[in-house]
Amino acid sequence: MKKLRLYYEEHNKGPFKLLWKHFTQQHFAFFGFITLLLLLLLAVLTPFLTPHDPYLQNSQLLLVPPSWQNSGLVSYPLGTDDLGRDLMSRLMLGTSYTFGLAILAVLGSLIVGVILGALSGMSKGVKSSIFNHLLDLALTIPSLLLAIVIVAVLGPGLMNTIWAIMLALLPQFVHGVRNAIQQQLKQDYVTAYRLDGASQRQLLLFVIFPNIWEQLVLMFTMALSTAVLDIAALGFLSIGAQSPTAEWGSMIADSLDSIYLAPWTVALPGLMIFVTVLAVNLVGDGIRVAMKKRREN
Amino acid sequence: MMFHYLLRRLFLLSFVFVALTVFAFSLGYLFPGDVLGNFTGLRNISPAEEIVLRQQLGLDQSYWQQYIYFNQRILDGNWALSFSSQQNVLDEIINVMPATLELASYALLLSLIVGIPLGIVAAVRKDKWLDKLISGFALVGYSIPIFWWALLLIMVFSLTLGWLPTSGRLSVLYEIPAHSGFMLPDILLSNVPYREEALFDAIRHLLLPSLVLATYPTTVMIRFTRESMLDVLEQNYIKTARAKGLTRLQVLYTHGLRNALLPVTRQVGLQFSTLITLAMITEVIFSWPGIGRWLIDSIYQRNFPAIQGGLLVVSSLVIAVNMFTEILHTLLNPLARKF
Repeated sequence: MKKLRLYYEEHNKGPFKLLWKHFTQQHFAFFGFITLLLLLLLAVLTPFLTPHDPYLQNSQLLLVPPSWQNSGLVSYPLGTDDLGRDLMSRLMLGTSYTFGLAILAVLGSLIVGVILGALSGMSKGVKSSIFNHLLDLALTIPSLLLAIVIVAVLGPGLMNTIWAIMLALLPQFVHGVRNAIQQQLKQDYVTAYRLDGASQRQLLLFVIFPNIWEQLVLMFTMALSTAVLDIAALGFLSIGAQSPTAEWGSMIADSLDSIYLAPWTVALPGLMIFVTVLAVNLVGDGIRVAMKKRREN
Repeated sequence: MMFHYLLRRLFLLSFVFVALTVFAFSLGYLFPGDVLGNFTGLRNISPAEEIVLRQQLGLDQSYWQQYIYFNQRILDGNWALSFSSQQNVLDEIINVMPATLELASYALLLSLIVGIPLGIVAAVRKDKWLDKLISGFALVGYSIPIFWWALLLIMVFSLTLGWLPTSGRLSVLYEIPAHSGFMLPDILLSNVPYREEALFDAIRHLLLPSLVLATYPTTVMIRFTRESMLDVLEQNYIKTARAKGLTRLQVLYTHGLRNALLPVTRQVGLQFSTLITLAMITEVIFSWPGIGRWLIDSIYQRNFPAIQGGLLVVSSLVIAVNMFTEILHTLLNPLARKF
């Protein structure tokens, strides 16, 4: 029922509602958002959902094609790999490795980045200058090279490359947060709060952060697509996730030998990576466009 | 003023290089295994040699002194030996580097030639079907994992159609004397009777890797040029120019392009680091004998001196390119000059 309005009243939607409205108007972005939610759900619930044990090898059922082909089996909808492991279960488990770990890595990096960025954004002078130049150095080292160095020090493994990815993502967060904060510091309302006697800490927590969190979300999505691609690439090069792990990149590397016999064992994990990254990028682009539209109105 | 700016950049550059060498030096201690082995690359060191080497490296002195010795060795070209081949790491890097640079530069060129015009077209036809088509393609190319894309292309063009080779830079049938290490110029400069065939073969080898490597930078260029162009087209001076009676094409060329392409020069420098990362993966897939494959092999062989040397050279290259494009950007764009 519509609310009864006795007199004319100007009705303004909150900034978040406006953003959400502009976001949902873009169907592709919204579709990406739903896909991401589903993937997230899958990543969390995967131990309860897999139809078969992802690591169980069945020598009777090697390289069974997907069930839409004549020789496929209904109980193995996406076929099996060269060791007779159910591909669907492995792909589902891969969601929590490639996508889930990427989210955790980006979250960890974002938290450290926000803290360092806030420190750097609120400070001035030589200290901030030296800090920035150190960051510039870290920005220039290619992420794969950084991962190679870290793997050389700590040894290969999925967790070690996660550290490398977090470290490689950190500088862009610090830079982004710092720029966002310094942009806010120029605004008049920040000056007004300052004249009211707000301390640096209050300024940061109650004035600046509520105004930059959308930019943080945007940075998060951009970093998330990089993180997923990096985890998969390192798994593919067998620097990251090692062979039996059901990580999408290392699954592709494992199946390379049977690419002729069983193209689906290479095609399907790659498709999962592609869909995930595409969904993340759709959401990121959607947020950017929504923010722009809100600013224009 | 410009001199002052360059001086500051130079100071920053030296600061970054100091930090980089400190990082590379500390790796000698951080890597597993013997410190002496990590710094020299020698395998079986006899006790007598060990005493001499320790003296040379200054391992009994302070870290500060050792760092200075380390820098002296770097500057003298007296780098550590590779664990696997027992050759100077620097010589090995100089051998493999041109292959990577050649591949990366063709990919970068391709991305600029394709990406910038498409980005401009997409911006001019904003929200029309052409823009949606280009932006859609850019998003797909932006999201596709490069190794999977490479495998798909290999499956179609090499395994199924058999048009293009899958690995290497040149068929073993042809032998080209190496001058610069860059394949195409080397072939053109050489005096062999099969020059044209070799050139054709080299281009066929180059086609798939550069296409794969160019995909990501091209999409970045499209997206970036489009954004930058849209920003410029909203400016008031564009409206003024239109109001003065210039045609759309004139406005686009004299006012739009010049301002929109300025940030693109900077973007090239920022993308260079990503380009090197992607080149490393591409090289592994196409067995391209460049620094990427060399570094990945080094990690499989736990060849620590090679990793240390590779880090130094690749990072220096990226830093230098970054610095160069930034200076270029400042020279071209008066607004970016903050003297």
